[in-house]
Amino acid sequence: MNSRFFRHARGAGIAATALALASFSCQKVISVDLNNANPQMVTEAIVTDGPGPYTVLLSRSGDYFTPSLYFPPVTHAFVTIADNLGVTDTLKETVSGTYHTSVLHGGQGRTYYLRVVAEGKEYDAISTMPPRVPIDTLVALHSRESDGDQVYNLYVFFKDPPEPGNYYRMNLRVNVPISPDSIDGRRYHLYNDKLTNGNEAAVRIRMRNYFQPGDTVWVDLLSIDKASYDYFNTLNNILTSDRSPTSLAPANPNTNLTNGALGYFAAFSVDSKIIVLQ
Amino acid sequence: MPSHDHSDRPSAGHRILPLLPLIAFLCLDVRGGATAQEKFTMSGIIKNAENGEALIGAYVVVKELKNVGASSNAYGFFSLTIPGGRYTLLVQYLGFRVLADSIDLTRDRTFNFALAPEPITVGEVVVSGERSDRNVTSTVMSSNKLEIREVKSIPVLLGEKDILKTIQLLPGVQSAGEGNTGYYARGGGLDQNLILLDEAPIYNPSHALGYLSVFNSDAIKDVTLITGGIPAEYGGRLSSVLDIRTNDGNMKDYGASGGIGLLAARLTIQGPIVKDEGSFMISGRRTYADMFLKLSSDTTINRTSLYFYDLNAKANYTLGEKDRIYLSGYLGKDNLDYPDVIGLRWGNTTATARWNHIFGDQFFSNTALTFSDYQYTNLVGTSTSQYEITSGIKDINGKIDLQYFMNATSMFKFGVNAIYHTFMPGSVTAGPTSSANSVSLEHRYALENAAYVAHEFEPLSGFKINYGLRASMFSLMGPGHTLTYDEYGDIIDTAGYGSGKVIKTYASFEPRFSATYLIDEASSVKGSYTRTAQYLHLLSNSTTANPSDLWVPSSNNVKPQYADQVAIGYYRNFEENEFESSLELYYKNMMNLIDYKNGSDLQINPTIESLLVLGRGWSYGAEFLIRKRAGRLSGWVGYTWSKTQEQFPLINNGTVFPARQDRTHDISVVTIYDLNAAWNFSAVWVYNTGNAVTFPGGNYWIDNRLVPYYTERNGYRMPAYHRLDLSATWKLGERSNLNFSIYNVYNRMNAYAIYFRQNRTDPTRTEAVQITLFPIIPSVTYNFNY
Repeated sequence: MNSRFFRHARGAGIAATALALASFSCQKVISVDLNNANPQMVTEAIVTDGPGPYTVLLSRSGDYFTPSLYFPPVTHAFVTIADNLGVTDTLKETVSGTYHTSVLHGGQGRTYYLRVVAEGKEYDAISTMPPRVPIDTLVALHSRESDGDQVYNLYVFFKDPPEPGNYYRMNLRVNVPISPDSIDGRRYHLYNDKLTNGNEAAVRIRMRNYFQPGDTVWVDLLSIDKASYDYFNTLNNILTSDRSPTSLAPANPNTNLTNGALGYFAAFSVDSKIIVLQ
Repeated sequence: MPSHDHSDRPSAGHRILPLLPLIAFLCLDVRGGATAQEKFTMSGIIKNAENGEALIGAYVVVKELKNVGASSNAYGFFSLTIPGGRYTLLVQYLGFRVLADSIDLTRDRTFNFALAPEPITVGEVVVSGERSDRNVTSTVMSSNKLEIREVKSIPVLLGEKDILKTIQLLPGVQSAGEGNTGYYARGGGLDQNLILLDEAPIYNPSHALGYLSVFNSDAIKDVTLITGGIPAEYGGRLSSVLDIRTNDGNMKDYGASGGIGLLAARLTIQGPIVKDEGSFMISGRRTYADMFLKLSSDTTINRTSLYFYDLNAKANYTLGEKDRIYLSGYLGKDNLDYPDVIGLRWGNTTATARWNHIFGDQFFSNTALTFSDYQYTNLVGTSTSQYEITSGIKDINGKIDLQYFMNATSMFKFGVNAIYHTFMPGSVTAGPTSSANSVSLEHRYALENAAYVAHEFEPLSGFKINYGLRASMFSLMGPGHTLTYDEYGDIIDTAGYGSGKVIKTYASFEPRFSATYLIDEASSVKGSYTRTAQYLHLLSNSTTANPSDLWVPSSNNVKPQYADQVAIGYYRNFEENEFESSLELYYKNMMNLIDYKNGSDLQINPTIESLLVLGRGWSYGAEFLIRKRAGRLSGWVGYTWSKTQEQFPLINNGTVFPARQDRTHDISVVTIYDLNAAWNFSAVWVYNTGNAVTFPGGNYWIDNRLVPYYTERNGYRMPAYHRLDLSATWKLGERSNLNFSIYNVYNRMNAYAIYFRQNRTDPTRTEAVQITLFPIIPSVTYNFNY
């Protein structure tokens, strides 16, 4: 028996709920045969309002059960990022599959155009960098759950700009590693102003059992465009909902890249603050 | 072919008449042409002698006339027109003693029959020659009636009897998930089931996030499920009708009954308002686990609330021989609060007012006014900055249904129906300290009208036809705005409409046809064709019934769903109708099914229609059923082989994929055994092919996360599901009993979900993990009846 699933599910605000059910469920590792898909091009490309160089990572997808986290890099690709002011930067491959800009300066409000030509195929993406939204304050409240779990509710306060259509991603960086297996470690903290446009936002990030008093937490508030939000949101659905059997059939995230590539290209502005947990 | 005396039959003219166009019947002299002998009508109500409850589907047989009889309708009324003479009538209903009556029919007469329940016999197997053969002889097919006795005997999870779980044991019906009340009928979607409680639609039939239904089986008299050959009087959903009727209340005596189980406590009170003229019934049910949470010293736990309740109330009054009125209502609420994490409330409210009137002896009318409302509220955020998201749907529905019993072999049904829908797609109510802005999406209004006519007759002895037509019309009405989208989902046009202005109208003709040919006294073949139209669509971010599910109307952007279904079947009874068996084959084609673009946000979304993708689906299969309804040993064995597929332009690269509910094999074995006056046992075994699911075909690394890569929708199968449940009921004297049940007796570890994760000790390895929801679970319930 394992109540872990339900603990996570409850945090995610889904079905958990039937407290009685929690005590019944159990899980075990099984073997499943999967058909291996053809390797696909994977692109991870960002431009920020911080100083360059900005990085584009190109790799290929692998077989699902192959016991390796090594994904072959895509080398000798032709990669450019241009902005709407006419600057075009041709990226240099410093390490296999890792490409860096040299002249580009990320700026708020500008639009960026990514082009990757690799193995005879061309992939394009567009992203616009929204203006930076500063974090006003960070507040962390500690509590202990009835089951003994340590919970930190971390509140990120900021003022949403008056015009609608703002999208955010919050990144936590900690001086202790967050287990990659945990949903808390994989989850994206995303926020949009659909219901709260123009207001003071208080976004709660609920962290269970991963922080201790005295830990230092860096919080980045990324202002992202709608396409990037859509990507991270649909990616987050895959990463967090796979334990909920009632969720709809999973699908690959909605990417802004053309030609069937996996991954994303995001231009975003960042504001950061640090808090020491009490 | 049985021999037949034609002088007892209607004239040849009658046989030809119904072949004329449908409308023509209204112009005909309904008494028909010249007949050899003058005909008279006997009519009346068939009741339970013990409590005065009208019996639905009881049968009056004229012993002297071959194959002549009438069955009582949903209000216990029957009418039969036959040549004058002396006859012996046999009135029969399952589980009741056959009543024999000699009558002299020399004029139109009223007979009200009261049948006495058959006592439970000990050590004796009752074989009477009067068992009903209606499953063979009637034109009804793809339809099953559940006896409440069966519902109460069959073991269920945690001992809470549930009709929505019991119907999942019938062929052609598939469960939406373990322990779930959602169901698929012949490959149709969860939203394609018309669920009626005293003729009022129930928009969300689930409690406790789908683990229990809103139907308290103590309050229910009759349950009929129709998955094919849907009669013309039903409309608005594609795939099935579940017609649930509540008890009228005891006309003779006051009584209280109830019970207490692991989940809920129940109490029903009923009795006469005026003896034999009017009665009432009030039935309530509530879960009580939350009472214990209140005792906790933990402030999070004692603020947690987790309960639901149901209240059914009904009253009826007979105004003379010809009129009867009924008032009934249902109120149910769920409350699910875990402070600062989740706060959900949802519930249905319905009300029904009905007036039965009998014109002459052959015309039965029912006029009904129903109200139905579903509301959902989600409390978001912590107590200081909380805001509420609400959505819902509300219906006001007026209808008149008429039944004309022309003669022993010809019956008409016709009626009209108008529904005014109000859709509340979502609003946010924010307090002064809340971070949210209060906003309310425009309500949508629609008028759904329908008229139908159906005629059942016997053109040749042993050959019955039921043909009908339902004409339906749906108009989206102002006030409101419409949005027009381009292919990318961007708004290209907006139009405003005033109050009462028609925004968009869809009209459909829905032919309904079924026919039965009697091969001999115990076997028949039947065929049916139905077209159904559905103007409402359920948007859900879950594969099971969820409180946040949103009903939306057809509009300029969303077309109605349509289905065409053909079914043929062979029916045969054995051992003097003691055993019923059937084999049915069906093919169903469904158009304009709804799916969503990936990542669609269904909550508070004014451009929700731009996220919908319309596609098609089809299902075909074979259903086998052998059933024994009466005797010490009763039950059924059902087997379904089926295939269900879907195709959407933007999903799975536009290629055909198996629907989630595509389950090749589905087996149910249900047995109920009365050992003696004290003990009753039952057992259920189910087996089905696993759901079609989507598993990854590879993975990749992005943003320091290992991400699965999906290539084919529903390309994999969950392991097969099977389970055995047992139940024993021990009668503690006349007035009470104890029910013991065991769910999943052999502790099968069925897969509820399979997910993939990185191995904890070696993160380079990925492993598949199976979640089992319910291992072996015993339960006990106490029931009483005073």
